[in-house]
Amino acid sequence: MKVNLSWLKRYVNIEEDPETLAADLTMFGLNVERVEKKTPGFEGVVFGRVIEVTGHPNADNLRVCKVDVGGGTPLSIVCGAPNVRPGLGVPVAVTGAVLSGDFKIKKTKLRGEVSEGMICSQSELELGNDSSGIMELDFELAYGTDLADKLCDTEVIFDIEITPNRPDQLSHLGIAREVAAMYDRELIMPELMELRSGGDFKIEIKNGDDCPRYSAALIDNVKIEESPEWIKQDLISVGIKPVNNIVDITNFVLMEMGQPLHAFDSDRLAEYAILVRRAVNGEKIKTLDGISRELKSNNLVITDRVNTIAVAGVMGGEETEISAHTESIILESAIFNPKVIRQSRRELGLDTEASYRFERGSDIGITVNALKRACKLIEDLKAGSVKKLYSDTLDSDISVYRKMISTRRKKVNRIMGTNLSSEEIASHLEKLQLDTIVKEETVNVSVPTFRLDLNTEIDIIEEVARVYGYDSIKGEGTGLINSFPVIDSTDKRNEYLCEYLASKGYAEVITSSFNSKEDLETFGWSANDRRCNPVQISNPLTSSQSVLRTSLIPGLLGVVANNPVSERKGIRIFEMGKVFLHMNDGDGLPGEEFYLTAVLTRNSDPRQWISEERKIDYFDMKGELESILSIFNNLEDIRMVRKEEGNQKHIFQWYKKNKLLAESGKIPDETAKKYDIESKVFYFVVYLDNLERDGFTRKRYIDPSPYPAVKRDLCVMTGERVTFSEIKAVIYKNSKYLENILLFDYYKDDKPGNNKRSYTFTLNFRSEESTLKDKRIDKIIEKILRALEGQLKVFLRKE
Amino acid sequence: MIDGKIIGELEKSALEEISKAVNFKELENARINYIGRKGKITSTLRAIGKIPEEKRPEMGQLINDVKIKVSNAYEAKNSELSSGLSDKDPYPGDPTLPGRKNWQGGLHVLHKVTKEIKEIFYGMGYSLTEGPDVELDYYNFEALNFPSDHPSRDAQDTFYINRDILMRTQTSPVQVRFMEKNTPPVRIMSPGRVYRNETPDPSHSAEFFQMEGLYVDKNVSMVDLKNDLTFFVKTYFGYEAKLRFRPHFFPFTEPSAEVDMSCFVCKGEGCSVCGKTGWIEIMGAGMVHPNVFRFVGYEQDLYTGFAFGMGIDRIAMLKYGINDIRHFLNNDLRFLEQFWRQKGWE
Ligand SMILES: [Zn+2]
Repeated sequence: MKVNLSWLKRYVNIEEDPETLAADLTMFGLNVERVEKKTPGFEGVVFGRVIEVTGHPNADNLRVCKVDVGGGTPLSIVCGAPNVRPGLGVPVAVTGAVLSGDFKIKKTKLRGEVSEGMICSQSELELGNDSSGIMELDFELAYGTDLADKLCDTEVIFDIEITPNRPDQLSHLGIAREVAAMYDRELIMPELMELRSGGDFKIEIKNGDDCPRYSAALIDNVKIEESPEWIKQDLISVGIKPVNNIVDITNFVLMEMGQPLHAFDSDRLAEYAILVRRAVNGEKIKTLDGISRELKSNNLVITDRVNTIAVAGVMGGEETEISAHTESIILESAIFNPKVIRQSRRELGLDTEASYRFERGSDIGITVNALKRACKLIEDLKAGSVKKLYSDTLDSDISVYRKMISTRRKKVNRIMGTNLSSEEIASHLEKLQLDTIVKEETVNVSVPTFRLDLNTEIDIIEEVARVYGYDSIKGEGTGLINSFPVIDSTDKRNEYLCEYLASKGYAEVITSSFNSKEDLETFGWSANDRRCNPVQISNPLTSSQSVLRTSLIPGLLGVVANNPVSERKGIRIFEMGKVFLHMNDGDGLPGEEFYLTAVLTRNSDPRQWISEERKIDYFDMKGELESILSIFNNLEDIRMVRKEEGNQKHIFQWYKKNKLLAESGKIPDETAKKYDIESKVFYFVVYLDNLERDGFTRKRYIDPSPYPAVKRDLCVMTGERVTFSEIKAVIYKNSKYLENILLFDYYKDDKPGNNKRSYTFTLNFRSEESTLKDKRIDKIIEKILRALEGQLKVFLRKE
Repeated sequence: MIDGKIIGELEKSALEEISKAVNFKELENARINYIGRKGKITSTLRAIGKIPEEKRPEMGQLINDVKIKVSNAYEAKNSELSSGLSDKDPYPGDPTLPGRKNWQGGLHVLHKVTKEIKEIFYGMGYSLTEGPDVELDYYNFEALNFPSDHPSRDAQDTFYINRDILMRTQTSPVQVRFMEKNTPPVRIMSPGRVYRNETPDPSHSAEFFQMEGLYVDKNVSMVDLKNDLTFFVKTYFGYEAKLRFRPHFFPFTEPSAEVDMSCFVCKGEGCSVCGKTGWIEIMGAGMVHPNVFRFVGYEQDLYTGFAFGMGIDRIAMLKYGINDIRHFLNNDLRFLEQFWRQKGWE
């Protein structure tokens, strides 16, 4: 909210400079986000006094003045203003001064007479519109004093962030109340006109919940004209456009006391009465902004029993708007249900100063005072004659207190970590205009109607803390004695994996959780695949962010596209993150699964002088995935299952028993092209939720065998559709002491129709108990060969 | 009859032939000639049956050793021919040629910052816990004391899946989920992604990251709140950092505070980073509201506690002077790699 400092000073004495006040308010919970000072539109203008005025020899409308601006001799200045006269204090732009529009003052000659500066008018200094004559300064200053501060410090505007729980701060008086509490000073209330209740104007409210209070006053003999300058300036300074005296007064009271008022032209009412009711579906009103609006039954309206004259708490109707011809008005000061106003405001898309305040809740005790204040101003400004009666739907003398809250001293100190006495607590609260009664360990607090935020003990404790000062809260506290961290093993594993990949040359990326449906469709997943049925956002930012990702691959391909080949010769990236999959279980939330997905494309290594360039291939990707899986599992326990889906021909799923641990494959070229990627793209996904949580921290170690390994090379061939992993499985099954199998040569006959392949590998045998004898190994090899032959039709390659 | 002498001569001539080879063809010929399937050395193995049985193992071992020696020499020559590097000339005339490179990688800067923050809180006794990104309105708002249809919800533009399900706008729902299932003492931190329906600009993103913290026990007061957060800020940003706690409003804490730290750019003098105030807002905090305790079933007069939340993106931006939050999800590798290494490695 914009607060004009000089306006604020009418209600509380403030000696502090603006910066100090801003800092203090901020620490008191009213965050001053900005201090705007109206910067002077001039530079080098000083205080001077006219000491002599003589006629200009060559021009009847000019005068030659001697002006004292300090220093030795008075300046000689030619001036044409009618009000220039000896003895006058004036602003003088001396040689070197700069006025608005970069107008530099120089010593010059005007019709033959030397002029050593310029005496300025209000408009020349941009301090107002008056250009009829020079400014008359009625204060005393040393001659030659720069006037920038003196003339311009009147306008300092604070931009204060008001939290939604404090609608009482949405006015100058409300802020003044906080300043008064903060500095322990007196609050000066604005002048009110005495009005009596008992007006005969009829007000009817259909439902008291919608409109807890409606007060109104009548004004006759209205004379619509422009407001005086001070009201206009005040309103402009806080961002409100002046309209006419009546409207300006309602806005002034709004910004002063926080209560929205509305003036109806009473001659335009069909009946001389007010009825507050819900709108009928389809009911129409043309609001003040000239727009015709259709209402629904959840909108609250003000009617004159015949016509709808306003959308309650949001905006008035055009029909009863104050115009130049208005002669009498009804001034409304009412309270509306925040929820109803909020709904209307949202549906109609009408954000107004009034709706903003009603939505946050209003002081039920303020309606009549706001009328009294407006009437006082109307009378002061001679804008109309006030009938000194008001009508009201509530008894005039409702309590000034909303409720009483008893606050335990012990609880205050437990929350704050302090040791305040009940009396200290009470004295802090009294500064906020809260009345207190101390009863030993309890402070009973009476809450005035303007403090809607104070409802329970904790609300009172917050006020104590605020006045006591957060800065003053200090001590040792509980320290670390009673809680010890549990290091989450899943998190530890994930951190390890990320570091591991980073050290292997992968860049970690973070991509959006949002995808477009079309993105998912480019992968050709089958229609019943969970990935094709994403969770939809009902109010997405854009259509390309309308669903939640079911795979990290689209995001990663986007990253590849964002890093063109001209910038990156090779790409290895990964993301560890959530995907969202539809599930139909209890709470209706989608299943969130945690994936590690990597994408590899372009060159396998940096281009360099020492080796040939090579494109990333299937085995680069497979090797990386195997190295990750081997951190957690014995690779021999994992099987690869080929899966064909749509245009994706090279997908493999990696299972351990029935648990799906990973998927790997190549992105179809057509899909990659949709992302403007020309090179082959390989990917793998690790389903982290299915991986062992802490498999990489072994429970027990195994003593390395002190005995040497025995190596045997074998070369086998096959003409059948047999895979290396099948060969390996058979070998493992049939060999004791086998430590590992290392394939070092592979050959495939490319002749069409020929399926001949040969595999050459080293078998490493080792025992924990002794050095293995050759004979023993020979027997094992024989057994292996028999099994390969019998089970797979794989034969030892002959010479 | 083969004997040690013959083997020795074979070895000598094989090594000589290999070392003299000037191209792959000559080298391959040498290999086939000596250790190929019908090579001279290989053949001696087959002739081993002709020597007395008791000498066979010794001879077999000798032949095998020679075979390995020759085969090693072959490998060395092979790589010398392919790289041009040899024992005699380990760098072909220019030792300043760039070393052999692999791709370099690294963690995303937001991950890095999260990890650093996490480690500090681990050290202070906080345990890690996480919650879903897609959340029930109940946990994201209702149980955090944001009444439905209340202006306090306006500050957080929300993506909805349906009336009851939304993208969490804050990590605070994790507090509620955790307290529902655990009794105090509770000292947890919860980093994660949050979502706001805001049009992206340099300081707003529809997705960003937060770190939530919660400490509840029998005697936790505002003093503990100030102490823990002061410890964190001074550990992370340096001991000179000053803090200020100023009253604020959050529905789920009361009393609430915004936490500012002294600007590390201007040291409090005022500059463009801190908006000339000398202070930088880094987190929100406060004492857990009794209504939240009521929602999770904690005895209100038995327990007190505090909660805090900070923007990880914001902290990363402050720490590295990043002026556009959109960099984080753009993943321009030229941006990301700055947080792994210096210039000069190309
Ligand atoms: Zn600064």
